[in-house]
Amino acid sequence: MSFLYLLIALIAVFGHSEDFLGTTLLSRPLILGPLVGLVLGDVTQGTIIGATLELIFIGNIKVGAAIPPDVITGGVLGTAFAIISGKGPAIALAIAIPVSILAEIVISGLFVFRPVFNKRFNQYAEEGNFKGIQRLHIFSGSLKPLLMGIIVFLALQLGATTMKSFLDLIPTWVQSGLQVAGNMLPALGFALLMNLMFNKTVAPYFFLGFMLASYLKLPVIAIGGFGLIIALLVTQKPQEKTIANEEDDFATETEELLADILAIKPRLSKKNIRSLFWRSMLLEANFNFETWQNTGFAYALIPVLRKLYLTKQAMAAALKRHLQFFNTSPYGSTLILGITAAMEEQNSRNEDLDEESINSVKLGLMGPLAGVFDSLFWGTFKVIAAGVGTSMAIKGNIIGPILFLFIFNLPHLLLRYQLTFIGYHTGTKFLQDLAKNNVMDRLTKGASILGLMVVGAMPATLMNINTPLKLGSDKSAVSLQAILDQMMPAMIPLGLTFLVYHFVRKNVKTTYLLIGLLALGFAGSIIHLFA
Amino acid sequence: MIKLTRIDDRLVHGQVAFTWTPSLGIDCILVANDKVVKDEFQKMTLNLAKPSGIKLLIKSVADAAVFLNDERSKALKILVLINNVKDAGTLVALVPEITSINLGGLRSKDGSKLISKAFAVNGDDIEIIRNLLEKGIELEVRQVPTDNKKFVKELI
Repeated sequence: MSFLYLLIALIAVFGHSEDFLGTTLLSRPLILGPLVGLVLGDVTQGTIIGATLELIFIGNIKVGAAIPPDVITGGVLGTAFAIISGKGPAIALAIAIPVSILAEIVISGLFVFRPVFNKRFNQYAEEGNFKGIQRLHIFSGSLKPLLMGIIVFLALQLGATTMKSFLDLIPTWVQSGLQVAGNMLPALGFALLMNLMFNKTVAPYFFLGFMLASYLKLPVIAIGGFGLIIALLVTQKPQEKTIANEEDDFATETEELLADILAIKPRLSKKNIRSLFWRSMLLEANFNFETWQNTGFAYALIPVLRKLYLTKQAMAAALKRHLQFFNTSPYGSTLILGITAAMEEQNSRNEDLDEESINSVKLGLMGPLAGVFDSLFWGTFKVIAAGVGTSMAIKGNIIGPILFLFIFNLPHLLLRYQLTFIGYHTGTKFLQDLAKNNVMDRLTKGASILGLMVVGAMPATLMNINTPLKLGSDKSAVSLQAILDQMMPAMIPLGLTFLVYHFVRKNVKTTYLLIGLLALGFAGSIIHLFA
Repeated sequence: MIKLTRIDDRLVHGQVAFTWTPSLGIDCILVANDKVVKDEFQKMTLNLAKPSGIKLLIKSVADAAVFLNDERSKALKILVLINNVKDAGTLVALVPEITSINLGGLRSKDGSKLISKAFAVNGDDIEIIRNLLEKGIELEVRQVPTDNKKFVKELI
């Protein structure tokens, strides 16, 4: 058994290594669930549990330094205990929710601790010792996977037997109560997603998605396809007006400087630029609450700096420059890396260049670009990928998790790769063109239409809540559910989602909503209102 | 109407565009900053980041106060963004409507210490903060709307 526990702990290590792997969503329950299932000899069950957990945590997103519950540790342990005890998804979530909240506290602690290394990083920079910086970045980054791996292993090794006998004590009525409660929890995830995307102007698309799913029973992937077509049609025509401030002339000192830089023949090779892309995968490895992604940025840039700065002093100055605070969306980080590489190249041959301008461009871009890329990837690609993936995985279909990764990462990696070169070759001109042609406005609008249609389909396809109530006396009794279904299929899930959304809008705390839904499901199951 | 006044040194970024704006039903983001108003490059990047369908205004702190005090701005649901504690002090003195300030993010600088995960203040900042607290201004730390409010009173 210990060997199996070790393998499961390694899955948690793998999940937490996502910070080294480009934040590619390998850590989601939808992916780790089947892996745990594989180790324990029940891939189907692992896939179903993974999908159930994914739905509950679907509204948990990582924006900026706001750390959501640690679904990796919670999910892996929940899935493992549920499969070992043979109790199914309801037990998995009963374990995963509290564990992920506890694990988040541990991780936040680590992010507070990590700045301890900053002194050492600065010392390496002072010495021009880029190898030291690379080493320490990877070492500090490894702490999270290692620490959480050990916690998972110990929890399994010490707790599995006790947990199993404890779970065996749970009576059936509690289990069926948990089951119903578990089926209700996705309403919270959907409501959190709606809170990000729902507003009056795009509301019809939500209901379009819902109706396509509830009346026409279309699969989520088809609704995603329709959503894409509609989004393209709606945003096709370029709006006449340009951005709010009318002046066409963006040229400033920084701009002119960049134009000069780009006019010169590049010295960096394609390979150098490509290395920015590969190394950007480790951007978040050493995330901390003091300087955030600074060492990740420096790590990505080091091969370029090595090519450009041949003396120790020059290298030291460049390293110090890039150990300053940095934080952006990993998905768009390569654009800033590319632009920075172009500016560093210019700096390396022009003594007069104001080095501060490199950082001011970097810092000026990181916030706005995080806004753009976070909404695009978390609000659209992740939503569609999870919608399609979970709708298949919840039936035990292993294609679900694979499609999930594919739908998210195909656009992610293609764009991330291209942006490196766009940033290096065109600098901020690319961004100006985007701003002038109002591309961003159209893109975000299209993305929200597409995302919201898929969110609308979710209550209808991914929430299984019915009522067993019957109207009338024994013989002529009519099922209430049948009547509801004739009016509008999936009426209860939709109503529940809107109820939770209403409370989310009122700023009721997520934890209270979670407990409220659990209680409602539990009570509803006992009095036979819901099943 | 001012829905939120936020100190955030990254101004418009993911947390603002993607969580605060929809959650408060914002229709106008006002960046009040004397430097940004003169920097076309930063204006361009901020315009890129603005959520779709939202009006973005970039004004100097003084002009921002005039705008906020104007009756015509009352019809808008405004999110005011400033990037330092000093401007918060100035704005509060000029705009009586501001009774609460959200401390979103302020990176570490020389001589500063973190009072929460993402908010670092130095001695000057603390002085202004004390001043604001004396005036009865609510100062709460939250990165995103779903965070629990932490009150600065208990943190410094």
